[in-house]
Amino acid sequence: MSRIPVTILTGFLGAGKTTLLNRILGENHGLRIAVIENEFGEIGIDHELVINAEEELFEMNNGCICCTVRGDLIRILGNLMKRRDKFDHILIETTGLADPGPVVQTFFVDEELREQTFVNGVVTVVDAHHFSRHVGETHEAEEQVAFADVVLLNKCDLATAEELAETEQRIRAINALAVIHRTTRAEIEIKKILEVGGFNLDRATELNPHFLDAHGHHHHHHSDISSVGIEAEGECDGKKLNDWISKLVRDQGQDIFRMKGIFAVKAQADRVVFQGVHMLIDAASGGPWAGRPRKNSLVFIGRKLDREALTSGFRSCLT
Amino acid sequence: MKSLGSVTAGDHILDLKWNPEGTRLLVTPTTGPVLLADDAATLLQEIPGHGMGNGSSDWFAGSPATCGFDGKIRCGSREWKPGRGMIEHVRTSPDGTLLAAGQGKALHIFDASGSDEKSLCDLPAVVSDFAWNRKSPTEIATAGAGGALLWRLGEKEPFARFDWGGASLQVRWSSDGRWLATADQTASVHVYDIPRDNPLNMEGFESKVRALAFSADGKRLATAGSPVVTVWPCASAKGPDGARPIQVDGSENEVLALDFSPATGQLATGDGEGTLLVVTFEKGQFRRKRARLGTGISALAWHPTKPVLAVGHTSGLVTWLSMGA
Repeated sequence: MSRIPVTILTGFLGAGKTTLLNRILGENHGLRIAVIENEFGEIGIDHELVINAEEELFEMNNGCICCTVRGDLIRILGNLMKRRDKFDHILIETTGLADPGPVVQTFFVDEELREQTFVNGVVTVVDAHHFSRHVGETHEAEEQVAFADVVLLNKCDLATAEELAETEQRIRAINALAVIHRTTRAEIEIKKILEVGGFNLDRATELNPHFLDAHGHHHHHHSDISSVGIEAEGECDGKKLNDWISKLVRDQGQDIFRMKGIFAVKAQADRVVFQGVHMLIDAASGGPWAGRPRKNSLVFIGRKLDREALTSGFRSCLT
Repeated sequence: MKSLGSVTAGDHILDLKWNPEGTRLLVTPTTGPVLLADDAATLLQEIPGHGMGNGSSDWFAGSPATCGFDGKIRCGSREWKPGRGMIEHVRTSPDGTLLAAGQGKALHIFDASGSDEKSLCDLPAVVSDFAWNRKSPTEIATAGAGGALLWRLGEKEPFARFDWGGASLQVRWSSDGRWLATADQTASVHVYDIPRDNPLNMEGFESKVRALAFSADGKRLATAGSPVVTVWPCASAKGPDGARPIQVDGSENEVLALDFSPATGQLATGDGEGTLLVVTFEKGQFRRKRARLGTGISALAWHPTKPVLAVGHTSGLVTWLSMGA
């Protein structure tokens, strides 16, 4: 049974999520998309494919943020998966003040959802004109960018060229991996939202060959959220790598929002693909290298990341 | 066991509910019309469904009451949309005078006139499930993030809290009013001895507990998620505390549905492969009858007075089975 892709749509209040959602629901793309909406705004979306549900955080382990999941999603998606006529895609719109962490973690933690769905991408809509103010007011605006695979820098018509450049630079400093699209009234090709293909390192390096370059980013950066990219030739020792990552997430998992890696592991012919959210990690075969150089790439997005410590820690795993 | 007839709904059967007299069965599929059939498996009526998904149904004031993801409750010719957000369950109070529906952090409670002044609003957590106390029809338990809360209608604060910090997905109240049980996201079951204020935590289940049912006399609690059904004794002074449960094997796949017969005390279980077990308990032992019924079994409902079992399948088929003497 093929797993159903899930897109998580997040963004601060008024950034344009509802406009984007209406566009997705209204456009003739030939996909059956179910929408789960947590945003109970004044202008709700009245559409036959929209389910409204109140956000329900389940703390599974004494309030540890890494073990917090969304109970409402577990039950709604469980019900949708029972249907005879399955959907092609599921879209979850979070509230403007939502931490995307528990939403993503739900798909790591719940066994049934893991079997039947996968997170295709986190799309964050950012108000180009007000982002700096939002960042100053709450930590959620930054965290939503930190979790993003795709950022829609929206309302570009309301921002000056300088504001746009500065906001884009700020977003890039938080999340070096996300693809940024500049939009007005959330006008964008729908496939750029729905066909993200997960937290994809290959795609990111194709779009920006230098994004893993430790010296490639010298943005003026006020935030303590940032990205650290590591790239290294050679092969990893599987046990050392496992031990290092386990210790890292145990010690610093609360501050690591997302992580992704592609590893060349000794005695393993295929690529090993790794991803994680806070303390939850998952590794799987990424298929053959197929002519690509056999090397290791790893990205962390999080708070108070120590680039040198991460780099040296990873290098200690090389054979 | 003998088939008495069948009806087919358009989708995976979510819920089956006999009316109190046992003359009508309400068949709720995951999507599409809710079916009303009689005790001879004759289809009587199709009731409009609730858009993206139906919730579980019940009988209220002599009519079927349905709910769903569209946030609506329908009961006979009446329709209520009490707020925004999906409604997953409607449940009638044991005396038949009130209908409760969970919606977000509210538990709407309607009487036959449609008044909802007894509703519980602004609860501390989203109501994932709720259960009436059969012994005291003005008491209701809500479950959700944090655990379970026990309420008396008309009072603003819960009269008891089983707030252990977890994530409760389902809640059931034993018919003798003594036990409250929750099935939790963490593959565990919490059972509360209400008079003794004694919470018990049962962990170590192979997977999340998907089905939970008390026997009609409140002496047994069955829990299932894996292919093995665990039946906890609740009759003694200490109940399941320190007791060895009965493990009922024989299912081929994860058990999705459970129901105890009010008439015979037998337990029926159904798994994802279509294996039906009918378990009879005798002096701490049990014997079981096993049958393969084709597609996965997703809902079970014993007739209130006869040895007749309605079996709902993931395919949408519902079969009435007579279990004989």
